Amino acid sequence: MALGNKSLSDLLNPISKQLEHDVVAEHVDLPEWEFVPWRVTDGKSAAELVDMFASEAEKIRVQVKRCKRDELAACVASIVGEGVPETGEACTVVCASDERFATAGLYDALAAEEKVSDVTVWDEAKGQANVDAAYVATYGVTYASAGIAETGTVVQPTSPACGRAVSLLPLVHIAVVDAATIEPTMLTVMKAYADADGKLPSQICFISGPSATADIELVRVEGVHGPMYVRYVVVE
Amino acid sequence: MSILYNTDETLRERVTEGLKDEFKHNAIRTAQEVFYTKRGELVKEMGIGWQQLRMHATEVRNHVTDNLDYYVKQFAENAEANGCIMHYAPTGDDALWEVLDIFEKHGASYAVKSKSMMTEEVGLNEVLEETGITIIETDCAENILQTAGSKPSHIVVPALHFDREAIMKIYKEKRGYDGSSVPEEITHFLRKILRKEFMDAEVGIRGCNFAVASTGSVTLVTNEGNGRMVDSFPKVQIVFVGIDRIVPDLESLDTMLALLPRSAVGAKMTAYFSLDSGPRGAGEVDGPEEVHIVLMDNGRHTLANSEFSDMLRCMRCGACLNICPVYRHITGHGYGSIYPGPMGIVLTAGLVGYDDIDSMAFACSLCGACTEHCPVSIPIHDLIRQHRINIVEQGKNHAIEVPIFKALALMWSNVDVYNYAMKMGTPVMKKLAHGEDALAKDSAWIPVVKGWTSTRDFDCLSETRFRTWFKEHKKQQGGGK
Repeated sequence: MALGNKSLSDLLNPISKQLEHDVVAEHVDLPEWEFVPWRVTDGKSAAELVDMFASEAEKIRVQVKRCKRDELAACVASIVGEGVPETGEACTVVCASDERFATAGLYDALAAEEKVSDVTVWDEAKGQANVDAAYVATYGVTYASAGIAETGTVVQPTSPACGRAVSLLPLVHIAVVDAATIEPTMLTVMKAYADADGKLPSQICFISGPSATADIELVRVEGVHGPMYVRYVVVE
Repeated sequence: MSILYNTDETLRERVTEGLKDEFKHNAIRTAQEVFYTKRGELVKEMGIGWQQLRMHATEVRNHVTDNLDYYVKQFAENAEANGCIMHYAPTGDDALWEVLDIFEKHGASYAVKSKSMMTEEVGLNEVLEETGITIIETDCAENILQTAGSKPSHIVVPALHFDREAIMKIYKEKRGYDGSSVPEEITHFLRKILRKEFMDAEVGIRGCNFAVASTGSVTLVTNEGNGRMVDSFPKVQIVFVGIDRIVPDLESLDTMLALLPRSAVGAKMTAYFSLDSGPRGAGEVDGPEEVHIVLMDNGRHTLANSEFSDMLRCMRCGACLNICPVYRHITGHGYGSIYPGPMGIVLTAGLVGYDDIDSMAFACSLCGACTEHCPVSIPIHDLIRQHRINIVEQGKNHAIEVPIFKALALMWSNVDVYNYAMKMGTPVMKKLAHGEDALAKDSAWIPVVKGWTSTRDFDCLSETRFRTWFKEHKKQQGGGK
């Protein structure tokens, strides 16, 4: 048989034959699952889940700040106001475009910081310039769509208002997360996406701490290809 | 590379070579202990939930295997509906053909890759390099191996066999590194040099941990972030997906993710887990403009509906390697397959057959620790044993065992022969051992004994048999008959 240009049937036929199926079924129902696993978050109250989210995040070396909604701008500004971590040099910031950030006055608050030399708010009209700004930025600020208590994870879907680069290229990623959106496990997040109408975002990234490796002699090193530092701001 | 490598060496030669490398041993031992301990703590924390998760994952994976044709089709159709360009590869060669075609269409010659076992399986790097395409491995360990021209020794931490000094030297010679041997400094050097490659590459190549049938999504679990770089910036993305990576829906994806990082490295989650559904959407500035999914079988379907169908549940976590006492000693290089350790024995023999795998299926003590630790309850040691049965039945290997077992059967079934053998055993062995208590390496010239004594001592038979001693003992105690 010639190489390449195979059809889906070419792939499926040997599988069906091996399974002794005459044709590929039109529809297969999921069985009634026998096991429904118990999870550590079962029975926890919303407040307990927020505490668990914060403590799990700290275990994976994320610094967590908690604030009221009207303190959001000041809280994020106080983090970037320190400049580049460890050196304290002047820094640049790339920030997701988000109604809630605008309402909180975040963009102005960031620009007003003495050590912040430039603030780029993600703008689809500017195309590649957004990515170029993120490439050199010290801080990337995003609004997470949810948090996961069990693992201290933030959920970051990609959109025209917030590209993949914001949470990936800068030295520090600051994720703002509403306490009300903190879910017990990834399961509830997945269920919500499964129930939603329409296509999923092109990427949903589940982020749990700084980028890290232990590839050299199993010594943990943070800051490989993604951010070296991650900060969460939990809005209550 | 294909699945097997160093095929001109026998298992025995590879093991002998491996046993000499003290550094590599210590590195593997440390890795096993670190991962094992961390995993154990997390499992304990989950209480009964851990076993329930294992059983649930098992029933989900079995359901997919039983309906594999349906789920492969559903995934393919939904991925296509998401805007992905599908390529179907019944064999590894079909997959290579498709990938070369994509490069040719785009006139591309520069690619970045995040770790993918499927691409190793088909020898993608070698083929692309032969056609003049530059392909850069971006996982730290894989980059070390690529720069050094070496092979992985562990599936999760593949460059474990190099110490920091060796790695420093590799980058000094090949990439002009002028820093120290401190892991942090070397890693940050890699961050610097690879960043530009990610932004400049025309094509990104990656694997897929789980593919979701109901949504046509592919996923990637990474810690370093190289996977995210590969799937964010090159305009063209190629995703390798095995037909055994499919889960039915998003809910079952959660079950797999609750098990995978805990089993692999003893972490609740990895730094990044991404769920990708098609190319960048309207108005998005980054992410691939074109996503090609290479959906590959390469022999996997033959495991379905067979005595090895349990193996299709495997999620490639490496938990069985981290607990295996044989792996601990012979290391990943001992097996001669890109899939080493207990799961590697079952999968390699299942995919390539018995003719070229030497005695790999016998590099196992059947202790069963792998089975106990497998997050999807694959009876790994039973499957290894089944491979052995098949090998012997088909007369493929170990033909020398047949006359030995015949001789032993004769000895044990005839009282006179047995008594004679026992009587002669001690003085003969004593003589061979030069009066010492054990046969050492220098007895390796004796055909059958060699198999044991070339690597270990073999204690001589005791001068007094237990039965004789016991009779004497009873007499001294003054009781019984």
